[in-house]
Amino acid sequence: MYGWHLKLLRVNLTTKKITREEIDPKIARDYLGGRGLAIHYLYKEMNPMADALSPENILIFATGPLTATPAPTGNRYMVVTKSPLTGALAHSNSGGEFPTWMKRTGFDLFLFEGKSAEPVYLFVNEDQVELRNAAHVWGKDTHETTDILKDETSQDARVACIGQAGENLALMAAIMNDKHRAAARSGVGAVMGSKNLKAVVAMGNKNPALHDPEGMRALSVETSKNVGADVKKGSNMRIYGTSYVPQVTNTLGILPTRNFLQGTFEHVNNIDGDALKNQYLIRHTPCYRCPLSCGRLTEVPDGKYKGKGEGPEYETISSLGTGCGVSNLAALVKANYLCNEFGMDTITTGMTIAAAMEMYEKGYISEDVIGMPLKFGDHDAMIEMIKKMAHSEGFGKDLAQGSYRLAEKYGHPEIAVTTRKQEFPGYDPRGSQGMGLLYATSNKGASHMEGDVAYEEVFGVPVKENPLMTEGKPELVKHFEDSFALMDSSGVCVFVGIRYMFNKDRMILPQILSEMMNLSTGAGYSPEEALKAAERVYNLERMFLMKAGSTEDTLPYRMLHEPLPDGPAKGKVVELDKMLPEFYKLRGWDEKGYPTKEKLAELGLPA
Amino acid sequence: MRIRVKMIANYRDVLPPEAQHGVIELDVPQGTTVYDAVARFPIPLNDESVVVLNGLTVELSTPLQEGDTVTAFSAIAGG
Repeated sequence: MYGWHLKLLRVNLTTKKITREEIDPKIARDYLGGRGLAIHYLYKEMNPMADALSPENILIFATGPLTATPAPTGNRYMVVTKSPLTGALAHSNSGGEFPTWMKRTGFDLFLFEGKSAEPVYLFVNEDQVELRNAAHVWGKDTHETTDILKDETSQDARVACIGQAGENLALMAAIMNDKHRAAARSGVGAVMGSKNLKAVVAMGNKNPALHDPEGMRALSVETSKNVGADVKKGSNMRIYGTSYVPQVTNTLGILPTRNFLQGTFEHVNNIDGDALKNQYLIRHTPCYRCPLSCGRLTEVPDGKYKGKGEGPEYETISSLGTGCGVSNLAALVKANYLCNEFGMDTITTGMTIAAAMEMYEKGYISEDVIGMPLKFGDHDAMIEMIKKMAHSEGFGKDLAQGSYRLAEKYGHPEIAVTTRKQEFPGYDPRGSQGMGLLYATSNKGASHMEGDVAYEEVFGVPVKENPLMTEGKPELVKHFEDSFALMDSSGVCVFVGIRYMFNKDRMILPQILSEMMNLSTGAGYSPEEALKAAERVYNLERMFLMKAGSTEDTLPYRMLHEPLPDGPAKGKVVELDKMLPEFYKLRGWDEKGYPTKEKLAELGLPA
Repeated sequence: MRIRVKMIANYRDVLPPEAQHGVIELDVPQGTTVYDAVARFPIPLNDESVVVLNGLTVELSTPLQEGDTVTAFSAIAGG
């Protein structure tokens, strides 16, 4: 077998039974791997109406056919489950080293069902698979947990784990791997916590056999050469990672500021990429074998925000930073470290605190209830809230439910900027209409990672689209959604896609990815077949949503009814009704957004 | 007329030392276009770059007005 191991490790946490299963090669081929293979199992095996924090939920770690191969950025995995935050699908992506180590155990997927009676961790070293007691690390943060579990297994192992936030079922709890990388969104860490599963420790030497190892190696060398040429030109990815983005979104007037009350932040120079580079950056740092090296190794050397780690990334700067009106960079860097240590998604954490700040300033929630003042820009209060959320203390209990439930509880649902109860990422869709359509239709609730059309609307990759127009956006969003589904299922990082595969010719990306997958698996995908497989994945996810009752594609009040007050997009709201009907048609869905019988048959999906 | 040119991230390297936070003020004649404002700097002016006028997507041939800001950044990256 090439590329895939075609092996699934099934762990029943209730009975402690461990089963090694074969994966049907036809299923692997039809669903690609990663995100695709995971939704196949999820849809087949669980009731989409089940409570996401109940033992009935299924949690899947999924590598792709390119994970642990020499393919450029072939180092990713997906965490796929039903989300307790959104009630829809969660599919969170992460890199670092753990995904490659997981694939080297000899399994493509780890599938967790049921719930353990007591805290456990899973240790996998090829054929040695054990559920071990985790009482001694329960209550510890992700960094301590990682160190302890490596000490008692092997320094050659890699760890994915939850922190206090996941244990306490915070709906923004993440699963951290290698301490600083996150499968962050949609509360996947809470699902893991609800199963009393503290960590997964993986090691092994079972690199997947490759159909064409020489071809794969040659491709890797060529990509590294191209990256080298970019770096010589002065690649922003290497120099800044994603931290240069605040200046871009601020220029376009779409930088989330003070819970989306504004689209520009007057203190953006305090927290931009140059500020980070000049004050706290040690150096760039890559995921395993990645030539791009966009990660940030940073340190605040002294003072009350002293700490060391990775990040912040753009989405953290736009949520815990500008989203909360915070302009103190050291405090923002510290807040990011805390989220990594406690295991929390910075976007939902930041934007939930932002919603609370707005409600405090408007008098909707009192200082008594919060325990302290909570104004926009108060970075110390923000840090206090993060700690309370992780430990489910005081007002942190309310915040841990996310901004939608918070705003509802305190009588002002119009404050929450969410779709499917998930907070928006760092692109205000009132100034980026395509992103509005994306957030409304995404299978995982509001997210940029489902099909980031900001690449065209904002970054000019491959071409610059006008973000204020709705024309052409339904086709653009569909193309990006399918492309991201393809990348997420294959095991590569989307950053290699945006740099080397996004093209005015829509078929270049599926062409390059199908070639890569063929070098790995020998499956003989044509670009059309690869794209069709991605569409199959996307539509099966949509069916999961329909059956889960998550049927409404819409945007929050602020985006539809409160025009941006400032910047180039001043006066704009999202014109969703101009885009949604055409999008449904292009997708082959009915006017309610339900995949038609014809579409399902075309993709070989059950009705 | 007075206009501003703003460079983001690696494009800041092309600006003279008096630029503050990537912004430089210029005095240009009437009729100067967006293209003219950025062409005086050694940055690519093709698919590898993005140039906006007051944050808006416009034709590079658009003439400038008093107080306009032209911003440029590299299209090679992501977030």
